[in-house]
Amino acid sequence: MDVRDELMDHVPRLRRYARALINNRDLADDLVQDTLERALGRSELFQTGTDLRAWLFTIMHNVFANQVRKASARAVHVSVDDESVAESEFEVPAEQGRALEMRDLDFALQRLPTEQREVVLLVGLEEMSYADVALALEIPIGTVMSRLSRGRERLRALMAGTQRVAKLQVVR
Amino acid sequence: MNENQASIGEDDIHAYVDGTLSVERRAEVERAFEQNPGLAARANDYFSLNNLFHERYDRVLTEPVPQRLKPQAPRRSRRAANWPQFAGMAATLVLGVGIGVGIPMAKNAASQLADTRNTRAVSAEGSEVFAHQAAIAHVVYMPAVDRPADIGADREQDFVQWLSNRLGTDVHPPILSKSGFELTGGRLLPGADGPVAQFMYRDAKGERVTLCISRRKVNSSTTAFKLYQDGSVKVFYWVDGDFGYAVSGGIDRKVLLELSHNVYAQLTASTPG
Repeated sequence: MDVRDELMDHVPRLRRYARALINNRDLADDLVQDTLERALGRSELFQTGTDLRAWLFTIMHNVFANQVRKASARAVHVSVDDESVAESEFEVPAEQGRALEMRDLDFALQRLPTEQREVVLLVGLEEMSYADVALALEIPIGTVMSRLSRGRERLRALMAGTQRVAKLQVVR
Repeated sequence: MNENQASIGEDDIHAYVDGTLSVERRAEVERAFEQNPGLAARANDYFSLNNLFHERYDRVLTEPVPQRLKPQAPRRSRRAANWPQFAGMAATLVLGVGIGVGIPMAKNAASQLADTRNTRAVSAEGSEVFAHQAAIAHVVYMPAVDRPADIGADREQDFVQWLSNRLGTDVHPPILSKSGFELTGGRLLPGADGPVAQFMYRDAKGERVTLCISRRKVNSSTTAFKLYQDGSVKVFYWVDGDFGYAVSGGIDRKVLLELSHNVYAQLTASTPG
């Protein structure tokens, strides 16, 4: 089967992950587009029978890491762009208190270091195993665990309020 | 900190939350939680975070994919593919598939494909959207197949009955075991005009097919099979009286067509007319 066809199957999940990673629809889709183009350009490197999804996440990680590097070199902040996001983006069909939490989630995620954000989302949203995350990000599994631990604790603290941050950092 | 907690490491708490611990280790972690409410609260918050991620971002899965993210040759744009529209689209099936009326089994798959292409410009988009929805449902729920709706043989009848009640008719999922596919699960997908039943099948090699059945508001006569393809997912879809059907899978087209014939034969045998 053509890799091109198979790629299409993964687009919705790549978009979901990118949207959580970069809280801006257009920039997130840019990331997906760059990932797909790179994957198509190198599709001969993909070994049939291996996990296409893992391969795509590795490519996306590399593209994203490049962007972050370039952005920080130019000291331009690309990741948060609340102004350009339509208000409807934040609407959640559930009760209003929920929507507030959701908004806090976007805010808190964007305040995680990118390497922690990636791990927390790959595990929590993509439901990848720790071993698969290690493969996709090309890091040791111990690093996955420490980023996961720090990332989750930081998110939890961010969403609970700053006072708790200090307290928890002492415990840790 | 007490001695029990000493044996429970940071990694254990995360592995607990992510469901990767053995049964024994799970029990140990739970005992530690009982003695240390702070630890339990952390695990609880991590669970909530995972749930929040899904609540917040899962809807991206059903958003229409922008044209620029379709690596294939540019195609005609389709209407949005979110589930609330699904039942509404199914109701318009009669318009879309009406053009393809014929004897269902007579044509081979290749000419069906040609038909689909030729009539695309003429037919209402409804039928294609229906098939597109089915294709998306096939892909989106693929990773969840093992988990939520595992049906034991004894519970299968209850499940079928429950689904039938919800759909307002006697729907029996066809038995496809002759072709090597076993029923592994099913769910109801929400639609504006009523629920859509999705049945999932799997063969020994792990290949999956899904069957979507939607009840339509407008009755029409039986129509021909049509093939729709989105990425690697192929969908055969047709209308029979009150119902629209779509069989989706990433398997060989001939095998999928055989399965569709099998489904069609079983469903018409059980409901006369």
